[in-house]
Amino acid sequence: MQTAFKNIRRSPYQAISAIFVVSITMFIVAMFALVSVASQEILLTFETKPQIIAYLKDGHTPDQVNELLTQLSTTQGVKKAIYISKQDALELYKESVGNDPMLLGTVTDWGIVTADILPASVEITAQTPKSFNSISSVLERSEIVSTTPQGKKEIDFPQDVVAELTKWTNAIRVAGLIMVAALTLVSILTIVIIISMKISGRKLEITTLKLLGARNFYIIKPYIQESFLYGVSGALIGWLTAYIALLYSTPFLSPRIGTIITFPVPFIIMLILLGGMLTFSAALALVSGFFASTRFVKRSK
Amino acid sequence: MIDFSHVTKTFPTGEVVLDDVSFTVNPGEFVCITGKSGVGKTTLGRLLIRDLSPTKGTVKIDGEDLALMKTRDIPRLRRKIGFVFQDYKIILDKTVAENITYALEIAGYDSKKIPARIDQLLHLVDIPGKGDLFPSQLSGGELQRASIARAIAADPPILFADEPTGNLDKETSLEIFNLLKKINEAGTTVIMATHDVTIINFHHARHIHLEKGKIAFDRENVKSQNVEEEVKEQPSPKDDEVKIIHKKRKIKKIKK
Repeated sequence: MQTAFKNIRRSPYQAISAIFVVSITMFIVAMFALVSVASQEILLTFETKPQIIAYLKDGHTPDQVNELLTQLSTTQGVKKAIYISKQDALELYKESVGNDPMLLGTVTDWGIVTADILPASVEITAQTPKSFNSISSVLERSEIVSTTPQGKKEIDFPQDVVAELTKWTNAIRVAGLIMVAALTLVSILTIVIIISMKISGRKLEITTLKLLGARNFYIIKPYIQESFLYGVSGALIGWLTAYIALLYSTPFLSPRIGTIITFPVPFIIMLILLGGMLTFSAALALVSGFFASTRFVKRSK
Repeated sequence: MIDFSHVTKTFPTGEVVLDDVSFTVNPGEFVCITGKSGVGKTTLGRLLIRDLSPTKGTVKIDGEDLALMKTRDIPRLRRKIGFVFQDYKIILDKTVAENITYALEIAGYDSKKIPARIDQLLHLVDIPGKGDLFPSQLSGGELQRASIARAIAADPPILFADEPTGNLDKETSLEIFNLLKKINEAGTTVIMATHDVTIINFHHARHIHLEKGKIAFDRENVKSQNVEEEVKEQPSPKDDEVKIIHKKRKIKKIKK
């Protein structure tokens, strides 16, 4: 390791450029990882939380409702199914318009909105969007689910929202992966070039060491260690920058997606991220260092 | 035992450097290989450490044919042979101690024992206390001694010294020669390649002389009585060359 540090001290600008490129890559990796996890969380929330709402005809009996609920509870992919009576619907309406005195007045002051005009419903929480079809078929068969004048059952599906979100999440993933792949390639090439330059500058030394009976690994070890140091430093700087950026943007993000993701992001999550980044960066640097040095050492006699 | 058997080495340019050379060197021997520059002395050394392979014939060390040796085993072979290079091959941006450390680390020497071993080696080659100096701070003779210290650092059973006195004055050459003798007396097989026959002629050593890639003679020299004085009095090849040049100039002047 001493030799590796000495090599870095001898050519600090090369070392700085290598660490800088790796740091940028690692910063992007960190941001991509955080955005990926966040978007996954948001998608998951939308996939599982939005309920399928089936509106019921007036005049249904409790037995009919119980039968439907029993049917739904035995259907695969149903997480929860609850009955919302007309009175419950009114309460929910009041809750939802709680901040708007005008709309609230329609219930309390003028009596325009009453429990009678609101339909009773069944709200179903699905485990995954895949189970929508089986849930739909149960609801389609049910006699108490109300029908539109066009003959369609009155069922609200969250599929469109999920589809849109999935599309965006996938786009973010693809773009992120492309960016990470490109930057990883740039980092590898930068390390390879810098290590190659350093090794070619020490051609005579390498030849002498080989003539003295040094094994290839003994010769390349300091260069691999050097590139390892670039990787580790880059990962640490990239992680630190990403963490600072995240903390800085917490006041902006928290009110928007704070109900889905915990803010500030727990430190343990950041530590796990650091572990992953260190592993990735070290692997990247080791591969680059090994490639550059082996290629040269094998060529020299 | 080192065994060169009908070794021929032809370079890609077509130049035949060694032509059917055969000789053996027994453990503990001191062998001087002499001959003019380009006669193949260095090539013999390079064949010995598998830096080159013979075009024809075999080179064996302790019965092991070096040409059949796997590439991954070459470092093991090289660790068995201390090599004093004609151009020293001392790493210039490392101190003498660091240069020797390389050889010791390569040989797998215990890192805790390295400083003591370096000290011992520097005393042996008579440059004590110069471990922290850089090659540029040493004289030619000191550099050669450092090179020898590095070559014998890990106690190799064989030492090949390629022109160890090539760039040195007569007195220093004699000291280096005596140092090699001392190493040999400690049990190391020493092969010394040199074009300078003046030192060898007065020492008890086996003398192989090469001419045009072939062995011209292979004989035992008998050490004369007052070696050091005789060596000092002997004109060096460089002095001869200078005299010839002067003679030629005189002839030219007379002709004019």
